[in-house]
Amino acid sequence: MNTDKLTKGSAKDNGGNSRYASKYSVAGRVGGVFRWFISSHKKYGVEWWILIVGLLIILFISYMALFPQTLAPYSPTDQHAGPQLMPPGPGHLLGTDNLSRDILSRIIYGARTILGVAFVAAILSSLIGIPLGLFSGFIGGIIDRILSLIMDSVYSFPGLILAIAFAAMLGPGVVNITLAVSVVYIPTYFRLVRGQTLTIKEELYVEAARAIGAKRWVILGRYIFPNVIATVVVVFSLNIADAIMTEAALSYIGLGLPAGIPDWGMDLSMGKKFLPSGTWWMITFPGLMIMILALGFTMLGEGLSEILNPRLLER
Amino acid sequence: MKNLLKYIITRIVLTIPMIFILLTLVFVILRIMPGDPVSAMLGAHAPEEVIEQKKEELGLNKPIIAQYFDYLNQLIHFDLGESMIFKQKVSQPIKEKLPATIELTVFGMFFTLLFGVFLGAYAASKRRTGRDYTIRLYANIVYCIPVYWMGLMLQLIFGVWLKWLPIAGRVSARIMVSDFEKTGFYTLDTLLAGDFHAFGDVLLHLLLPSITLGIVLSGIFVRLTRANMLDVLRSEYILAARARGIPERRIVYKHALKNAFIPILTMMGLQFAILLAGAILTEMTFSWPGMGRLLMERIYLRDYPTIQGIIVVFALFVSLVSLFVDIIYALIDPRVKY
Amino acid sequence: MKRFFVVLLALSLLTGMLFATGTKEKAVKTLVYGTTEKVTDMDPASAYDFHTWEIFQNIYQGLLSYPPGKTNIIPALAESYTVNSKGDVYTFKLRKGLKFTDGTPFKASAVKWSIDRVMALKGDPSWLVTDFVKSVNVVDDYTVQFNLKHPVAYFPALVATVPYFPVNPNVYPKDKLVRDPSELKGGALVGLGPYKVVSFKRDEEVVLEANPDYYGPKPKIPRIVIRYFADATTMRLALEKGEIDLAYKTLNPSDIADLSKNPKFTTYKLSGPYIRYLCFETSESVFKDKRLRKAIGALINRPEIMEKVFLNQNEPLYSMIPKGMIYHTDDFKTALGDGNIALAEKLLKEAGYSASNPLKFDLWYTPSHYGDTEVNMAEVLKAEFEKTPLVKVTLKSAEWATYKDNMHNKQMEAFLLGWYPDYIDPDDYTAAFAGTSGSAGLGIYFSDPTWDALFKKEQTNTDPKVREAVFKKIQKMWTDECMTVPIFQGNLYVFTKKNIKGVKIGPTLIFNYNALYYAQ
Repeated sequence: MNTDKLTKGSAKDNGGNSRYASKYSVAGRVGGVFRWFISSHKKYGVEWWILIVGLLIILFISYMALFPQTLAPYSPTDQHAGPQLMPPGPGHLLGTDNLSRDILSRIIYGARTILGVAFVAAILSSLIGIPLGLFSGFIGGIIDRILSLIMDSVYSFPGLILAIAFAAMLGPGVVNITLAVSVVYIPTYFRLVRGQTLTIKEELYVEAARAIGAKRWVILGRYIFPNVIATVVVVFSLNIADAIMTEAALSYIGLGLPAGIPDWGMDLSMGKKFLPSGTWWMITFPGLMIMILALGFTMLGEGLSEILNPRLLER
Repeated sequence: MKNLLKYIITRIVLTIPMIFILLTLVFVILRIMPGDPVSAMLGAHAPEEVIEQKKEELGLNKPIIAQYFDYLNQLIHFDLGESMIFKQKVSQPIKEKLPATIELTVFGMFFTLLFGVFLGAYAASKRRTGRDYTIRLYANIVYCIPVYWMGLMLQLIFGVWLKWLPIAGRVSARIMVSDFEKTGFYTLDTLLAGDFHAFGDVLLHLLLPSITLGIVLSGIFVRLTRANMLDVLRSEYILAARARGIPERRIVYKHALKNAFIPILTMMGLQFAILLAGAILTEMTFSWPGMGRLLMERIYLRDYPTIQGIIVVFALFVSLVSLFVDIIYALIDPRVKY
Repeated sequence: MKRFFVVLLALSLLTGMLFATGTKEKAVKTLVYGTTEKVTDMDPASAYDFHTWEIFQNIYQGLLSYPPGKTNIIPALAESYTVNSKGDVYTFKLRKGLKFTDGTPFKASAVKWSIDRVMALKGDPSWLVTDFVKSVNVVDDYTVQFNLKHPVAYFPALVATVPYFPVNPNVYPKDKLVRDPSELKGGALVGLGPYKVVSFKRDEEVVLEANPDYYGPKPKIPRIVIRYFADATTMRLALEKGEIDLAYKTLNPSDIADLSKNPKFTTYKLSGPYIRYLCFETSESVFKDKRLRKAIGALINRPEIMEKVFLNQNEPLYSMIPKGMIYHTDDFKTALGDGNIALAEKLLKEAGYSASNPLKFDLWYTPSHYGDTEVNMAEVLKAEFEKTPLVKVTLKSAEWATYKDNMHNKQMEAFLLGWYPDYIDPDDYTAAFAGTSGSAGLGIYFSDPTWDALFKKEQTNTDPKVREAVFKKIQKMWTDECMTVPIFQGNLYVFTKKNIKGVKIGPTLIFNYNALYYAQ
């Protein structure tokens, strides 16, 4: 029997359908998604639109993060952009702050920080959590139990408090904040992937692969991992939303970045002092942006979740 | 019965290593902090030998492993140690501030349930109508609202513009807390002291912070309640009740809700951790003198033992609450197996 | 329907309770004084902060003191004193018949006991005693003698500071510093001042009542409650709502601006000797080179900082010796000016820097110790420094604990610092930064024998003409050395309800509560 096709090479037949046991192989999945994209707005109704809106929000804010110069009328650190503490009006759409900086520009440049930190933190968490989860679920036994116990303990602990402890320990700085935020979400990926691994491990096609002598790594890489991806993508999106909230919270309480880097959370805490004077524009807009960005990723995640795999998770 | 007991014991036994891991985690995190607390404590003029002596006194010169076992040993005896910055036991400020946080959390949970459960039940009863979708939209959006931003906005609207409600502290500055303070739960204390004026004042101060906390967490409960209610509303005995002519409102709020409540109870326990985290942010926003603010103050002062003590208390709280909820759930729902 | 009525009833009950008027009207008229400061150690041998000293100045007394709002020294616990010809032995004659609030008679032995204790326990402020006093001896029950290490021109001003306040030997433990009143024998603070503490709850409130046994001008306000606020915003709101009668230290500039315009309140603007300045680490960092220090100093634009950060509530300062203090000059204005890019670039280029090779350094600040405005000042300074392409600044911050640490470890090349006077004399504003020992203690590490000799000269010489000449010379030299660069002098603001009068806080920054009274 020709075992080559099982251990390497594509599993797609000419019709674009996957040939082998799993209808969840990578290529099949990709093809499937494409088809869905085309006909889905008819099929999925509300969820489709939620996904699209989320995606648009993300794309817009990403643009803000990548090319702020094209949008912002002033430099975010320009302390002579206009009169001090001006309410929103012509010339300064969102007003100026107490150091005469243009708030709109600060918002635009601030996108970079929050998005960057949240995104990198999510990637870090997944890079650590996913392999650990795969490994643990697959290996089973005492190692699995110990790892699970550790991860469960950390998971049950309020994430923000953990992030605060790490951020306080590491000190201010972009790198430190990213690390602090990423540590919090490792158990999320671990648990998710481990759970999936345990289920898939029992599937017939995996047993079949084992029967014909496929190596462990191969099974992990070829069969289990691709099927885990769909869920992971959804969780990744929701995770970024959460990481955004955590990063903003850390900056708000003063554990975040040093002064000078425009950051929504920090601008919020700065504006707090001017609240009783009625200076509402310093706090309204940064907070609004945090909400919108987090919403964007949440909508993307929820929308994807309904579409890729209905009734999949309740996070 | 025997199975149940076995489950409870297993669950308790499993909590112990979890707590242990958390305590170790806390210990590890806090040993790597930059900034020497001893010279900060003794002042800029202190000579070297005095600093060294203090370090010796506090056991900071021992190897890490020795410090770790000291730490565990202390905890087993329920001793949280002494503050490094102030001459006080760590448990003292914690005892003083814990009631404030608990009061806030309890009222926060009250509002969460108030908004979440009733909105969720309402949405379930008006399934697939505009109102249902609006409520579901609310539920999804609300989780993404930073709790401190919501707090600031409410402060702005109700405190600064409308001037209806106080926006900081637990009690007005004119009221002497020492007049009624007993348990630390001001709502209770003022009632016990018979001071209704102070009671009203305390409630007013509780209003904005707990509503803030309540709103942000209500989203999850809206979804949960709605989902459970939908299931329950489809069940047979509800159909029977309808057939008997019982008014819809009664069916939804009396019969269905009661049965949908069990998972809500469990969710309360799970959300407790998030509530605590939210409480920290709320306390910072509303100048609420609770554990959250205490934690931040001590972080600025690099007061290791107190920071450690606070996080340990949080960890214990979370573990115990989740244990408690699991047990209750097991008692109520006979389907649970372990 | 029934349920609806039950709910309605409950709600109305609740609302009723909320608006019920308090049945407990305090029989005694109380003044509520709000502050964001914190009490540290209730021990004159250990406390070294503005607010705790303020409380001591009202519940305890020194041998000498100042009239409210003035700077001339007057007798207090001591009726008179004499100095020997050399100027190193001071003999004080104490007032007779005084009693501590617990009944203990006040005698010279208490003075000696207290000073010995300060010297032995070596708390933070103890240097104010140990740097100058060799020993104290009791001549008789009402005469006490201070033997100094060397003649000190401003010794009476030192004696008026808190570490010299006599405490009751029956109450304070001899061998350790006290933090809370509960640690005292008898559990209460016992003193000789116009007020006494009747209740103490740290970070919440301190309740003071008039001391009937006080020998001096009796307080007109029988009861004062000091209420501690966690942040300025809350305090501002409490004042506006009428919950507190007086607010002092420290409101945000926007709060000060709004309250000053509010006709319900009286605004007191005190120009006090509170200064803020930029420090450089002069022994090992890039700022070894004084040209660079001078250059950066020249780039500071004080009026801009005053306007942007403090809404013009503070004054630019052109010397380390504050305005209002003797021998003050404005040398920095003439020598360096504000925002003097030309001078800065000249010096930088001389030192080898250019637009392609700019001077890079870290500017440190501490985010809460000096109030919330610190980060704003740092941001504005950074922008001012970077007006020239030859400078690149990175802002760094550390909380006070770490900040002090960094000062010792030479971790900060350039950092912001503040100073409240210990005693009213220019020496406190100069030797502390430029004298070898003081400078090291503050992380500046400047050391120059010429300077040390000058300081010695003014410290030991009582002739005001000699001292004036020395200080004028030092201030000139300062504009060249720039180991610190003065930025501004702080105004302190007190806000009171219209019916409260008698707020007399002078350059000594001593706040005498017994000068307060209600307007009729």
